[in-house]
Amino acid sequence: MEHPSGLTILVYPKKGFNSIYASMGTKFGSIYSNFRFNGKEVRVPDGTAHYLEHKLFESEDGPAFQKYAKTGASANAYTSFDMTCYLFSCTDQFSESLKILIDLIQSPYFTEENVAKEQGIIGQEIKMYDDSPDWRVMMNLLQGLYHVHPINVDIAGTVDTIAEITPGILYECYNSYYNLHNMVLTVVGGADPDEVLKIVESTIKPSAPVKTELIIPDEPYNVVKSYTEQIMPVAVPMFELGFKEDSMGRYATNKEMLCTSVLMNAFIGEGSALYRKLLDEKLINSSFGYEYFEGLGYRCVIMSGETRKPQSAAEMINDAVRKLHKTGISREDFEIAKKVVYGKTISAFDSKQAIAGELISGEFTGRELYEAVEDIAEMTLEDVNKRLESQLDADNCCLSVVKGE
Amino acid sequence: MSDFIRINICDGVAFSSISDDRFKIGRMGAALITPIAKKTAAANALLSCVLTRSCKKYPDFTALSRKLNSLYGASLYPSFRQIGDYQAITISASGIDDKYVPESVSSEIAELLCNILFEPNVENRLFCDEDIEQERRQLLEIIDSEYNDKRLYAIKKCTEIMCEGESYAIGRYGSREDVEKLKNEDVYAAWKQLLDSARVELTMLGSSDPEKALSGFRKYFGNSPRTIEKIPVVSKVPESVKRVSESEELSQAKLVMGFRSAYFRRDEDCLANSLMSIVLGGTPTSKLFLNVREKESLCYYCVSRVDNNKGLMYIDSGVETENIEKTEESIMKQLELLQKGDITDDEIDSAKLAVKNSLLSSLDSLAAMQTYYVGGTLKEDQLSPAEAAAAVDKITCERIVELANEVKLDTVFTLKGKE
Repeated sequence: MEHPSGLTILVYPKKGFNSIYASMGTKFGSIYSNFRFNGKEVRVPDGTAHYLEHKLFESEDGPAFQKYAKTGASANAYTSFDMTCYLFSCTDQFSESLKILIDLIQSPYFTEENVAKEQGIIGQEIKMYDDSPDWRVMMNLLQGLYHVHPINVDIAGTVDTIAEITPGILYECYNSYYNLHNMVLTVVGGADPDEVLKIVESTIKPSAPVKTELIIPDEPYNVVKSYTEQIMPVAVPMFELGFKEDSMGRYATNKEMLCTSVLMNAFIGEGSALYRKLLDEKLINSSFGYEYFEGLGYRCVIMSGETRKPQSAAEMINDAVRKLHKTGISREDFEIAKKVVYGKTISAFDSKQAIAGELISGEFTGRELYEAVEDIAEMTLEDVNKRLESQLDADNCCLSVVKGE
Repeated sequence: MSDFIRINICDGVAFSSISDDRFKIGRMGAALITPIAKKTAAANALLSCVLTRSCKKYPDFTALSRKLNSLYGASLYPSFRQIGDYQAITISASGIDDKYVPESVSSEIAELLCNILFEPNVENRLFCDEDIEQERRQLLEIIDSEYNDKRLYAIKKCTEIMCEGESYAIGRYGSREDVEKLKNEDVYAAWKQLLDSARVELTMLGSSDPEKALSGFRKYFGNSPRTIEKIPVVSKVPESVKRVSESEELSQAKLVMGFRSAYFRRDEDCLANSLMSIVLGGTPTSKLFLNVREKESLCYYCVSRVDNNKGLMYIDSGVETENIEKTEESIMKQLELLQKGDITDDEIDSAKLAVKNSLLSSLDSLAAMQTYYVGGTLKEDQLSPAEAAAAVDKITCERIVELANEVKLDTVFTLKGKE
């Protein structure tokens, strides 16, 4: 429901569970580095959204962690490319913790001193990611796929860009995007919707809607380059192979996402002929996986894993992709993949964290969580093979490799 | 809500079931627990990979994968962990609850798990060579790739140095060389030996009828007498501090401090020891977080944790190479404060709330419950998460200080960035 304050509230009661997982998210992530606020164009340093997430934990009457310590809730926050979420999970004193969460988001307190203090901490977080081959192989891939879309910039920025962040910049972003009309609160677990509403009523400070508009430059269809590599101290090379596709200027629908899941499972899931061939040729191991990576202005299929021969793995996959476009998925493979996707979709409802994540991103992207199960039931082989036409373009992919010397 | 039943099938083989209808999946597992030994650790680990690759009924990887897919994406996978000086090889299986599908997935999964364990793809006392080679190659890659994650690598190095000569240092799958040298016969022998003499913990969680799985396990284990291998866990007091350093092309240095702490087999003592470590560095209001991170801005993470099954404590952090010494001093200062009893009621209360929250939350996840019960099998007694949460409340400040004084620095391992 949308509360009169502008905040969207989603409650997913799960009977008989001990813990409650609450998460409050704003549609503001690292790609929101250039936007129009009340008609004025704003450009902020890379890493600002993430920096803001860290600093919001402080308020005039002390850090939020100290308050949560009194309720026993386990609290955290994360910033992704397209959103920032603040969360806690608790087994007791839910209302107190929810008040702390709402209060922490509504009481920014940025000073020269507390902003400066965070440089060292976030600087170490950035360096930790610089040394993480998993993270580097992905960022390098995104830089190989995207020319101008801000998805090619690291979420936390760099030590140099965060040095430019000031309290003024943080307040400007806060005022632009931490507006209740741009935010969602989700509560999953043994909570009563009326109780949630009552707490929100007593805690929330209503905000007038503001006009903000994300500016995303036009991204060409073609990839930047087809190969990129970085030398790092690793014992087994890592690779990510990304197939860029037309972003369509909108978020993908449930149906598109599910068709892609079925397509990918049939094509390269563990039961597929291709997966077996890659194993037999010693080109992948159980770390191999794939995902559909999409948001406003970017869409791609990414396959990743560890391998001693990244080029050979990519070649084998690309040959199979070319063949797939000629033959499509077979009916038998389609039926079995559909069962897998159905099972995985249902299973995801066991995780409160996964439900909360899906509810929030569903709200931001216009995807309805409950419709997914029906979409799977109605899906036909033709839908999936039609979907294939706009995906997995073997001439528009990039291979990113991280390997040792 | 959830019913806990524990049945002894025969010597050293226990079946635990938690009937719980809140979940959309069901979960089963067989954990084979045996003392870690140089001779068998690698073979046991490789065995668990080979077993989940194929069986008599589904004799190759693709046939087995497709069977799992047809059961609505059921999964079957091996895992290896270390519980003190013991190695636990677990084969887990999970799948969608019967209420969401037209057929009985749970009974098929129970049958499959029995097939995997008792009727593997064996001929003339050997596994299929291709399975062995494929899984050996993958296990070696998994071992090698531990070096890719520098935080885990540094902790592993610290353990190897601290526990040199003890079976604990052999780890959950032995060494790379051990895996390379394994012969098909060794893996077959490991299978026989584990079924004959390992402590076996069978678990079944979810809403399905446990009878199907139980009868499969009963059929195999029957009432035949088994001899379970038991060893005393080695716990030590360090004589002097060992210091080892490596360097690598890195932006951030890793500091790992390994300590010897008190070793207990009673759950209440273990909980007190855990609480001591949480007060020191387990939450965002702990001494390490508030001082080393927030006050001194030295790092992003600085965390302590205990391994109660062995009597070890680790503190690790990622810092600038030039700040390693300063960070170590800062960490030791916080530990000394704890040892002197410089600790407030607020600190203890918030640590207790955090521990209780995490114990009670584990009841909401089948995987967490499975890990909790299997992880506790070597204790003298095992409290349920709810009993454990109640026990935490009774821990006193004096007890925390007493346990903090048992903590002695043994090894410091640093992985430095190159200039």
